[in-house]
Amino acid sequence: MSGHSFTARGEVAVVGYAMSAVERHSERPLGALTIETSLAAIRDAGLERDQIDGFTTGSILPSAGGQATADGVGVVTPNWLAEHLRIRPRWASGFQGYGQLSGSVMLGVNAIASGAADYVLVHRALSNPRGRYHENPMTEAAGGAQWTAPYGFWGPPAQIALPYNEYLQRYGASRDAMATVLVELRKNGARIPWSYWHDRPITARDYLDARMIADPICILDCDIPVDGVAAFVLTTRERAADLPNRPVYVAGFCQGSPGRAGGNTFSSLDAIMEGGEFAAQQLWETSGLGPHDIDLPQLYDGFSPFIYFWLEVLGYCAPGEAHQFVQDGGISTETGLPIASGGGALGNGRMHGVPQMLECYLQLSRRAGERQLPSIDVGLACHSAPHWGGAVMYSAEPL
Amino acid sequence: MSTAPDAPTSASAAFVKPLPRPDEVSQGYWDAAARRELAIQRCDHCGWFNHPPDVVCAQCMSPDPSFSFVRVSGRGRIRSWTIMRDAFLPGFRDDVPWVVVDVELEEQAGLTVISRLADGPDANLALGAAVRVVFRDVAPGIALPEFELVAG
Repeated sequence: MSGHSFTARGEVAVVGYAMSAVERHSERPLGALTIETSLAAIRDAGLERDQIDGFTTGSILPSAGGQATADGVGVVTPNWLAEHLRIRPRWASGFQGYGQLSGSVMLGVNAIASGAADYVLVHRALSNPRGRYHENPMTEAAGGAQWTAPYGFWGPPAQIALPYNEYLQRYGASRDAMATVLVELRKNGARIPWSYWHDRPITARDYLDARMIADPICILDCDIPVDGVAAFVLTTRERAADLPNRPVYVAGFCQGSPGRAGGNTFSSLDAIMEGGEFAAQQLWETSGLGPHDIDLPQLYDGFSPFIYFWLEVLGYCAPGEAHQFVQDGGISTETGLPIASGGGALGNGRMHGVPQMLECYLQLSRRAGERQLPSIDVGLACHSAPHWGGAVMYSAEPL
Repeated sequence: MSTAPDAPTSASAAFVKPLPRPDEVSQGYWDAAARRELAIQRCDHCGWFNHPPDVVCAQCMSPDPSFSFVRVSGRGRIRSWTIMRDAFLPGFRDDVPWVVVDVELEEQAGLTVISRLADGPDANLALGAAVRVVFRDVAPGIALPEFELVAG
């Protein structure tokens, strides 16, 4: 150990939440959904609106389509939300970068631990613009795009296809293995009332027959763009003790480190693994825990290969073995490691880290209802690719 | 609404592929490509190749940057590829399926360029397959470096 430790461990808690419906296109503006969801989260936490004094999110629209994103329409920033809740916040800050939800939770925890705010609302508002999500009408490729767009290489599905193909070729993995992952995610998502895929599980055959986008990525390897909003309330451990819900404590966090190789075009498999292993190392060092102390590692799956990458960088499998691990039943919620119990992005819709965080919160606060899993005391909510994004560790008791 | 005599008549003809717009950092790359040469930005201080070209050398971090675009062999190996079966840029709709390759150039480990495999989707693709640069003229004064498999 080199002596880094997370000194806010157990000092900040999630004390309430709300989750909107997840729809292809909501009939209401994103800003209105965000107001409704935020007020519901504040009520759920047992608080009054005017007690919220901090706001954070990572507000980007994660599309390659170049759509205009007016605040309150295509995105919702912390300041827009504070203004429209008629609150003058002591602290409001947006997270810049990948891993928007894990990153904004980190900012919120730091704000509370430092005393910059007492009650922080963390929200994530996702919109699905009209038209094809990643389709871009550019006629000239400037900046970073000049290196990719003239070749038709555009959009995250194609960007992920390159390192995923490297993985398949290097390790002899098959698309049948990934079918196991999709069946598990969609099975779990089908059980969740607010999921876009509620009551719509799939079979391995459905996966293997799905339309190919950029080999080896098919349409079902990509989370479906949606309109939806989630909100969570954070406060100190002391204040949490006076509130109605069982608190869920923040036990640690980490950020990936893409290095120069992780720019805006794509990353190689090696770059993903190196940056992700760095992130995992920070998590274990600062939390003092290891992968097998985590009962509920909710892995990010905006694109399905991320599941393999997270399984390997977190140490649940050796590099190159995740595809075998999933085929051997390793990620079954009932009999394996429950990495996908919340359905993830592929089982809920493109909610960008929300399903992972929400599942950790619901299971650790014992609010998961008929989906409640036994003996869940430590969870991990991952977001984005491991080298770009990050993860937040949660615990049922202050560790 | 009036229509000019030479206006595109089919829907797909209205879609154009995006052409690279050179900037102050990348001009040398595209100038070389127009001469049908593959030239990569090299640091005059330490000799490191940077691609995409950068404003500060990723190796020596010199705060007094000085670069030259140096012609390279154009030979490399496929690090990965994808067969594109959907076009997010509408100008590529008629090209489906086509092959995008990530090529590691022989001059430096990790020095890669994104490009297109001129051989097309029926080629016998493999990680590490040897390729060499070829050029596709796409507009007056603009050529795109592409790659083709080297036999044997």
